[in-house]
Amino acid sequence: MAGLSREVAVWFVTSVPTRLGRRRVSFPPPVVFALVLVPFAIEAVGVFWPAIQGVMLSFLNWNGIAPSKEVGLGNYVSLASDPIFITALKNTAIWIVLFGGLSFVGGLGVALLFQSGRRGVGIYRTALFLPIVFSLVVTALIWDTFFQPTGILNGLLNAVGLHSWTHVWLADPSTALYAIIVAALWREIGYVMVLFIAGLKALDPAIAEAARMDGCSRWQRFRYITFPQLRSVNLVILSVLVIDSLRSFDIVWAMTAGGPFNSTQLLSTYMYSTAFQGRQLGYASAIAVVIFVLAIGVIITYLVRALSEDKES
Amino acid sequence: MTRKSHRWLAVTGVALAASVALAGCVSTGSTSTAAVTKDAPGALVLQSRFTGAEKSGLEAVIKAFDKKGEGKVQLNSLPTTTFDTQLPSYLTSKNPPDVYTWYAGQATRDFADQGLLLNLSDVWKKSLTNYSSALKTLSSTTSGEQVFVPSDYYWWGVYYSKKEFKKLGITPPKTWNEFLADSAKVKAAGVTPITMGLSDNSWLAAAWFDYLDLRINGAKYHLDLLAGKHSYDSAPVRKVFAAMKQVLPDLSPSVLGTSYNQSISDLSTGKSAMYLAGAFIETAVPKSERSDLGFFQFPIIDSSVPVSEEAPTDGFMVSAKTTRPNLAKRFLEFAASAEGQSLLLNGEDGISLAVNPKATQTMDVLSNQGKKMLLDASQVTQFFNRDAGDAQQTPADTALTQFIAQPNDLDAILKAWQASAVKLRSGS
Repeated sequence: MAGLSREVAVWFVTSVPTRLGRRRVSFPPPVVFALVLVPFAIEAVGVFWPAIQGVMLSFLNWNGIAPSKEVGLGNYVSLASDPIFITALKNTAIWIVLFGGLSFVGGLGVALLFQSGRRGVGIYRTALFLPIVFSLVVTALIWDTFFQPTGILNGLLNAVGLHSWTHVWLADPSTALYAIIVAALWREIGYVMVLFIAGLKALDPAIAEAARMDGCSRWQRFRYITFPQLRSVNLVILSVLVIDSLRSFDIVWAMTAGGPFNSTQLLSTYMYSTAFQGRQLGYASAIAVVIFVLAIGVIITYLVRALSEDKES
Repeated sequence: MTRKSHRWLAVTGVALAASVALAGCVSTGSTSTAAVTKDAPGALVLQSRFTGAEKSGLEAVIKAFDKKGEGKVQLNSLPTTTFDTQLPSYLTSKNPPDVYTWYAGQATRDFADQGLLLNLSDVWKKSLTNYSSALKTLSSTTSGEQVFVPSDYYWWGVYYSKKEFKKLGITPPKTWNEFLADSAKVKAAGVTPITMGLSDNSWLAAAWFDYLDLRINGAKYHLDLLAGKHSYDSAPVRKVFAAMKQVLPDLSPSVLGTSYNQSISDLSTGKSAMYLAGAFIETAVPKSERSDLGFFQFPIIDSSVPVSEEAPTDGFMVSAKTTRPNLAKRFLEFAASAEGQSLLLNGEDGISLAVNPKATQTMDVLSNQGKKMLLDASQVTQFFNRDAGDAQQTPADTALTQFIAQPNDLDAILKAWQASAVKLRSGS
């Protein structure tokens, strides 16, 4: 390996003057091709190929065992009138707004609260960050017990006399989705908090200090000094949250599997159940394409904004 | 941009184009069946969906077969949900596992129709001569070839705790009206009449649909309905839901949020009185309390309708692409023999019945009762997913659980159920 990298290094060094126009570009040694093409080939086989196949599948009717049938845009047309898809789309929007929004606000809030180095704050920070070490399926199991009809939450409500507040939380379509969001938030807020604390630590305390000297209130300091400086961190966190929201699957699947009667179906869980329980692989691929378009839309918007800001600065 | 980056772009472009061209051949199913006369070396791979009590029975059969020295069998046991999801991928892959545990009926025919299963007619002709003709029909494709070797079957009934029934002063009901009267009595005593573990096993609700349809509209109508010959959005199906509506107040109010384990615990601790379930429920109850468990036949609603029962049959099928067809057939012959059947059933903890009439099986009170009930039945059905095809289970679960929560939305529920069933059948 050392020999290889030396060869590459030599090529880069020797090709520098050629860029200055002293002689024509030499053909890069084969090892450079290898270093670029091998990862590309792996990526092509592991990512691009399946992705392209997925798109092509979305134009077929295929149950995985019988010969497939071409339906053109048929799957997309039926998506538009599929009530479960529309529920899933709505739930995904609710998920992005509530899960994403509350993670952002909650994460920022606790980060501001716990950024100081006061004694004992570390314990709180650790406590909030701790849920992240559990896998989402374990998180689901814990919260599932909490929300059981005879579980801790209903027990607590009964103990304080709020009998009418008790619910079959995960089986009532009016509460199930929100119950799962609470469980997901429990895990996500600690993560977002850490990202924000990292961002806050990078700020120059002198600016906030100067503002304080000038008589700015706490809120003014946050609104006009701290928050604007966090702009780049905000962008990263927002895109992480949107992507996390769109790919949320495990916690929903483990807690309700999209039920009761499809009321907690997200695009991701509906795609899974269509593909592997209903065995409609073409239709499921069409849902996957919709998720992909939504995700790529967010990423491109983010990249465009980030690049244009780079240019400005 | 320099020349160099142009060249890189070109190389990347060529590679991308190549991958697009390759991607053009999306493989969607294959029906090739290579004729193999001589077996490939190595152990026969048996992919099984049993991880509980049934697994030990299967292990006993494999151990005895291995001892015969005709070849080795390697057992891969996966949880049912994983197995069911993966099965189509196994069968359509290039080098699939050889033998699979599976459900008899339409669930097997779906694969046979695509040429994915090995023809086992010669196994039937040679070794399964004393099997009933009903089992043979169940194991056959529409063109009359056998593609399935049954291993065992079990019964469904309304399970109850004898102790609790005695305490409540009720006897097992025979008719629907007696059943409703008993439920009312149970409820008046402050006990939930009926429970189910629907939060993680919503398919259990389909047992109610199956039985009510069998008792009200009869087995022929039921099987035709599940095969897509009638609509779910129809008057006979509405009758089924009307009967179901009568028991809704008797269900545990949190039935949709109750897990299977919780529901079993509710039954054995006397919180709930009755549970429509298959024989598998017996293994979930602690052994010490097993003798307290009893079951009665699903009550008769219309005495003019011939009595049919659910008797789901399990068994084996073989991939058409197996490289060890001879070994597979020898193994299945052994598993279906009186010896193999005895080993399988005695390892299974008394929750299923042998299909081979010559098998010797230790029977307890419940298995004797179950066997008699099925022998007396005018016709047996499998279960919703086995008769309708596995993919049809999800829309049925949705319809039934939604009905439990929102019985007044019946029109919309039935319309949606029929639409999903048609869509799934259209092969999308």
